[in-house]
Amino acid sequence: MRRFTPAKFFKGMNLTVFTFAMLFLYIPILILVVFSFNDARIVTSWKGFTLKYYAQLLHNVAIRDAFLNTMLIAGLSTLFSTLLGLLIALGLENKKLKGRKGFMGLLYAPLVIPDILMGVSLALLFNFLRVNTGMWTVLIAHITFCVSYAAIVIQSRLEGFDYSLIEAAMDLGAKPGTTFFKVKLPLIMPGVIAAALLSFTLSIDDFIITFFTSGRGFDTLPIYVEGTIRRGTITTINALSTLVIGLTLLLVVFTKRIRKSLISSF
Amino acid sequence: MKSNSKSSRLDYLLAAPTLIWLTVFFLVPYFIVLIYGFLTPDIFDVKFEFNLDAYRQLFDGTYFRPFVLSVKLAITTTLLCILIAYPVAYLIARASDKIKNTLLILIIIPFWTNLIIRIFSWRIFLSYNGVLNDILMRIGLISQPLEIMRTDLAVIMVMVYVYLPYMILPLYSVLEKLDFTLLHAAMDLGANEVKSFFKITLPLSLEGIFAGVLLVFIPALGTYLIPQLVGDQRSLYVGQVITYKIKNIPRNWPMASALSFGLLILVAIFLLLGYILLKKSKVRGVA
Amino acid sequence: MEEIRIVNISKDFDGFMAVDGVDLTIKPGELFSFLGPSGCGKTTLLRMIAGFEMPLKGKIFIGDQDIVDLPPYKRPVNTIFQNYSLFPHMTVWDNVAFGLKVRKTPLPEIKDRVSEMLDLVKMGDQHSKYPDQISGGQKQRVAIARALINNPKVLLLDEPLAALDLKLRQHMLIELMNIHDAVGITFIYVTHDQSEAMSISDRVAVMNRGKIVQEGPPDDIYERPSSIFSAYFIGETNLITGEVIGIEDEYVQLKCPMGDDEYFEIDSTFHFRPEIGSQITVSLRPEKIAISSNKPKIADDMNIVKGVIEDILYLGSHTQYIVRVGKHNIRVFSQHKRVYFDDKALDWEEEVWLFWHDTDSWLINELPDESRMPAEGKTYIPKFKKANASAGEQI
Repeated sequence: MRRFTPAKFFKGMNLTVFTFAMLFLYIPILILVVFSFNDARIVTSWKGFTLKYYAQLLHNVAIRDAFLNTMLIAGLSTLFSTLLGLLIALGLENKKLKGRKGFMGLLYAPLVIPDILMGVSLALLFNFLRVNTGMWTVLIAHITFCVSYAAIVIQSRLEGFDYSLIEAAMDLGAKPGTTFFKVKLPLIMPGVIAAALLSFTLSIDDFIITFFTSGRGFDTLPIYVEGTIRRGTITTINALSTLVIGLTLLLVVFTKRIRKSLISSF
Repeated sequence: MKSNSKSSRLDYLLAAPTLIWLTVFFLVPYFIVLIYGFLTPDIFDVKFEFNLDAYRQLFDGTYFRPFVLSVKLAITTTLLCILIAYPVAYLIARASDKIKNTLLILIIIPFWTNLIIRIFSWRIFLSYNGVLNDILMRIGLISQPLEIMRTDLAVIMVMVYVYLPYMILPLYSVLEKLDFTLLHAAMDLGANEVKSFFKITLPLSLEGIFAGVLLVFIPALGTYLIPQLVGDQRSLYVGQVITYKIKNIPRNWPMASALSFGLLILVAIFLLLGYILLKKSKVRGVA
Repeated sequence: MEEIRIVNISKDFDGFMAVDGVDLTIKPGELFSFLGPSGCGKTTLLRMIAGFEMPLKGKIFIGDQDIVDLPPYKRPVNTIFQNYSLFPHMTVWDNVAFGLKVRKTPLPEIKDRVSEMLDLVKMGDQHSKYPDQISGGQKQRVAIARALINNPKVLLLDEPLAALDLKLRQHMLIELMNIHDAVGITFIYVTHDQSEAMSISDRVAVMNRGKIVQEGPPDDIYERPSSIFSAYFIGETNLITGEVIGIEDEYVQLKCPMGDDEYFEIDSTFHFRPEIGSQITVSLRPEKIAISSNKPKIADDMNIVKGVIEDILYLGSHTQYIVRVGKHNIRVFSQHKRVYFDDKALDWEEEVWLFWHDTDSWLINELPDESRMPAEGKTYIPKFKKANASAGEQI
């Protein structure tokens, strides 16, 4: 006999919502990908397969520059924010350190304040200091909003760290430096890599803070895309987006492998 | 063994670069925001003359509507996110380990795809001659294209779409750690599934909900890009107003500063409120 | 080979004296145990020898060298950690080679010594596995190899068997003794488990509240406890207080109150001369007492009291009887060799005779803490926590 039970209802509801959420998350992206191959100027209906937007993309100097700028900023800000995050995570590891609470407050505050405020405040700082906005100001801004995320990820890895392993290494004759590089760093490496990946993602994804801190002539990809959308010349954006999504997917697939090989190489 | 003072000196040394960085590029800028609010606007810049106009306008209600709209939007987005994210997170948390990772990656991929691109894809989907209208007309559900783009509904849809993963992930991590034998215990003691959900699962996952709210509500308050790209240009949100005051000419940086400060205070109030709520729920022995 | 001398060493944690003025000499090549309940300071003492804790004051000599100011990596000691602390990101081989690698030993030598050590602990065929791929007992072996490969003068073992199950624990205990015989260096062994300490050690230091209570070979500590603490912590015992009413050449006479103004007398040999009229304690091990429902014919040098069986606990190898003698509940272990005294099983509430030899009671010049003295009919419960494993261990 089939009977309606709350358990079945819950399970059914969960599944329904899940399917809906998945469709919700993926349909727009799917459409974007499909239409990047659509041979029509206005994206309404299917007119035939083409790669011409991809060809246009290759010859578009502005996009190439924006892409290179994005990578440059993301690479550098990842490097610096991960390093700074690692340093402060190690520095604040000792829970009894005087002033730790205040330092943690400063470190976590950027996480609970809307991006736009960081953008505005940095824009005003650079204006106040009469600094010309450009690559350097964008880099500074990106490091500033990435560092807290990097620190938190590394801190959470340090949280469960088995301190007796450090003692074991010293007991076996390893000096503090050797102990750090041979035992501690390799063991928190997954956290460091996760922090770097997060910083990189945040950096290439950021629009609003870059928007406030970049000057004319220094566009990152999000800034370029937004400008293009605003101007209405969107033909190549589909193709560009598809490439970005493809890259993201590749990254997701490979990060697991990269992370694994990185860990075992230590 | 290192002596205590020596090792804490090293700790300070390690923490110092980041702390100095955050002081210079995070704390100090807010003081400048505070100062700029009392200056006089210029077409391209500010004049260093004391002026109370910006704060006067902030308090006399001229900019009341953007704040109300932003708070309303943030609340709606957060509630919808909780409603959708909870069942999703629950389902993932209870899935077998193998499927679990795949499902999580499915949630994270959009989160890793560029924000602007994702918003742009919604424009294609929702626009007047876009895919959604196309489909709906083809299956004969409507005869005229719907005006969804550039409405408040579009803003809410895209907001939920963008912020959903931020709600799913913390909820998942709490539900994943939840001891499901507690549910069996509750049922063993006579609570049915519905009761045990409200008495056990929900209270125990409050912490995840709070984390999710923090990750969704706060950024939603300051959102600029989504209403800018898909919203009705007659409803302006705080983020948009601030941006216009900075980017559009004539510039009014004192006004942008005052509005930013207003937003900052609003965020602080909500954080405090959340903190009190969380503490209260902890006192009661939950979360 | 060098002896270890610990001189007046103390350590405090936020004002709490974890180790309080300990003096100790450990002979070269000895297997020496620190035994005590949790929080007694044994692990802190060990960690000070290893160099993980800085003493408040005092010195630790290995031979003539005071090592207190040396960092752990410069001390000629190695440690087996409670949870082994194997490096999870290294193979068994790399774990064992770690100490030699950080000392920049040439690779061919490392290879030889690692395979030699792995053979010693019978892990030669597991060298390429990671710690999470081997069992608890195997981890233990790797930890031993990893420590011993550095040729330490002293091997410190911090509750090394605590994470293993009972059977494996007994097996590893024998293995540890064999390894100790094979390498011949000094082992310092920390445990809360008295049976472990008793079976493995040459000498034992019993610790309580940061101090060494008694020090000596295991049988000495068991048979001749110097304090109520060591009597109670090592093995099981009955503590009976009484007034000294007579001293002869060979024994003292004690008058022990049983409540309700009733008394029984105990004769006991003595190792110190108590004063007549003073109050002292007798420690009487449960296995030394014989029990019978028939009144036995006894010699002059035997004690006898009459009681009622309160409880019977069948424990496999022996039975524990709790016998009410006035206000005392006396525990008696009886192995299952009833042929000697009884032809029928004893029963609850049965009247029985308890008897033991004068030389089997042991005087302790100390009185149990009055505030902890048993209420009528209850057993004395000492202030410290009884080690949790001991009950199971005796089965």
